[in-house]
Amino acid sequence: MMPQTTEESMPNLLTVDHIHTFIGQFHILEGVSVTVPQGSITVLLGRNGVGKTTTLRTIMGMTPPAQGTIYFDGQPIHSLPTYEVAQLGIGYVPDYRAIFRDLTVEENLRLAERQKGDLNRKADFIFGLFPDLARLRGLRGNQLSGGQQQMLAIARALVPHNRLLLIDEPSEGLAPVIIEQMMNAIRTLSTQTTVLLVEQNFVVARHLADRYVILDDGQSVKAGTMADLVGDRETIRRYLGAA
Amino acid sequence: MLTQLKSQRPLLTTLALVLVGLVWMGHTMKPGTLAGTLLSGLTLGALYFLIASGLTLIFGLMDVLNFAHGTFFMLGAYAAWMWVEQPAELLRWSPFALALMAGIALAVPVRQQLPGPITDVAGGRVWRGGWGVAGVALAALAVWKWALWPWLPRLLLGTVAGVAFALAFGATRTLHRRQRARPLWQGIGLGVLLLVVAVWADRVQVGWANAMLNWDSSLRFAGGLLIGALAGALTGGIMEWGLIRPLYVRPIYQVLLTLGIVYAGTELARTIWGVEVKRMNKPSLFGARCRSPDFLSWLHEHCASLNVWGRAFPSYRLLIIVLGVLVFLGMVVLLRRSRLGMIIRAGVQDREAVEALGINVRRVFTLVFALGTALAAFGGAAASPFIGVYPEMGMEYMLQAFIVVVIGGMGSVSGAALGALLVGLARAFGDYIVLSGIHLPWLEHTVRMSPSIARASTVLIMAIVLMVRPSGLFGHGD
Repeated sequence: MMPQTTEESMPNLLTVDHIHTFIGQFHILEGVSVTVPQGSITVLLGRNGVGKTTTLRTIMGMTPPAQGTIYFDGQPIHSLPTYEVAQLGIGYVPDYRAIFRDLTVEENLRLAERQKGDLNRKADFIFGLFPDLARLRGLRGNQLSGGQQQMLAIARALVPHNRLLLIDEPSEGLAPVIIEQMMNAIRTLSTQTTVLLVEQNFVVARHLADRYVILDDGQSVKAGTMADLVGDRETIRRYLGAA
Repeated sequence: MLTQLKSQRPLLTTLALVLVGLVWMGHTMKPGTLAGTLLSGLTLGALYFLIASGLTLIFGLMDVLNFAHGTFFMLGAYAAWMWVEQPAELLRWSPFALALMAGIALAVPVRQQLPGPITDVAGGRVWRGGWGVAGVALAALAVWKWALWPWLPRLLLGTVAGVAFALAFGATRTLHRRQRARPLWQGIGLGVLLLVVAVWADRVQVGWANAMLNWDSSLRFAGGLLIGALAGALTGGIMEWGLIRPLYVRPIYQVLLTLGIVYAGTELARTIWGVEVKRMNKPSLFGARCRSPDFLSWLHEHCASLNVWGRAFPSYRLLIIVLGVLVFLGMVVLLRRSRLGMIIRAGVQDREAVEALGINVRRVFTLVFALGTALAAFGGAAASPFIGVYPEMGMEYMLQAFIVVVIGGMGSVSGAALGALLVGLARAFGDYIVLSGIHLPWLEHTVRMSPSIARASTVLIMAIVLMVRPSGLFGHGD
């Protein structure tokens, strides 16, 4: 099965097709389909507990799907172990950020290298995006603030050559000023990589994303361009609660 | 600065308490006795550390409580003993091992020549089980009649057994899953090369074994240390891959499995090598029958004992202390400076996140397990000249190593070092107190204690440490 093309005829980098995922005996995803066109920022929307994080984890192979297919750049990845999914060029920034507390900022970044010298090659870009990190290089993970950890988590996903970034709730628990900074960074990095975002904060999602997919109760119920969604008050009220 | 000191509080407090204890013991002891007891404590501590370091590393990264760790201590000792004392027995099996490895290398090309269903994963459990049984039977046949057959049939049997083993386990599965097999000529080339080496080894092994007995004993012993560590790494790696790995989702089964291996291993050692204690001669560097007046003159006299403030101390034990310190420094460097160390430190905290960076954590697990068991086996090899080699040695030292790891905090290498120091000193000074009795200032006669007090002292330390810091001196408390 080859990935389909969207109406803009941009090739899809990622095609998730009707995946079902169980965690223990709980049927968490009951048919989720997501397409992420090359070069876009696509956002997964939906209330708490509808399966947005599980969708990202299923793509990464952490909770493999029981049914359905996932294609990345034309290649099936739904039965690959997590590390092989990552090696194909998918970076994952989990909602809890997963900063290694015993490692310094520098070591956190070095650990993500897939080839020797990755960090040196990307250093200008990364520290251009997050100038604070350059200053904090020697500090350990547990000495960073929440915002700094979030920056490091995204920076870490930029170290190797990743063609797709999965970013889970980048604005969660951050001060408005920091959120602004983070949004700018994601916008800048999206010129180089495709992004699939999970975001609860609709204002943030609206300003960042080109495309959306709404999940409800473990199913993908609606997808389209962000411009269409903004005008669709009924959909927003029904699936996302707030206006 | 202050926060730095605060984070080192357990270390500083413990060292201060040890120092106070030493000073208090010191003023009732003669300097020679004090130094001798101290060195004995350090020796024991170094030995405990060699076992405990691997144990704590494995637990810290993999959450595997490896009760069988002491078994590798014993295995290392036997491997070193055979290398040093009975090289012919050990080398006798090298052609067989090489032929087996050649068979494993040849399995992938062989698989492509055989019809699909009987070698394919899809062919099912029955065929794979059949290959496993065939492998065991062929290997047993080869081993049974090894000395009686000419070289060609026995090597062939070994090779075919290797192919069968590989078909039962690895070759088909990896080929199936990866979809990017190595080029065929690699497997064939490696297999043929190993076979040639096997034939050569079959020819020269007797001569080599005899020649080895004429080597300098220190050289042989150094080789024994290496062989011991290698044996530990190899068996540990295979054990993780074959037995522990399928049970990561069932930790209780893991405990039962490793406990079972302790008994099986001990019994196996009794069957193969007998119940009596094997004596391992000290290497020539520590073997001369004399007593050096001081360390500098020992350096060229190589006496078996050394004068320490008027008392004789076995010089070989200094080597154990040095090895313990070297292994500790080596592990600190490995953990702090190498990429593997970085992966281990990160993996201790969050395995999944490390995997999400594109790192094959499973492979790192096997590597760390092999490293840990290699350290234990190395310890066993190093200990053999002064504690002897016997089937129960693993069990005996295992308990102390567990106490050391619990005191230091599960998963911490520095903790294991400090714990080993404490337990070693407690054992040595405990033994001294039992022998001499203890003189309390408010009592007229010295108090005598039973010898079991010395053994109980380590458990007592563990209890006190756990009351003050429930997750051990360097534990993270999660």
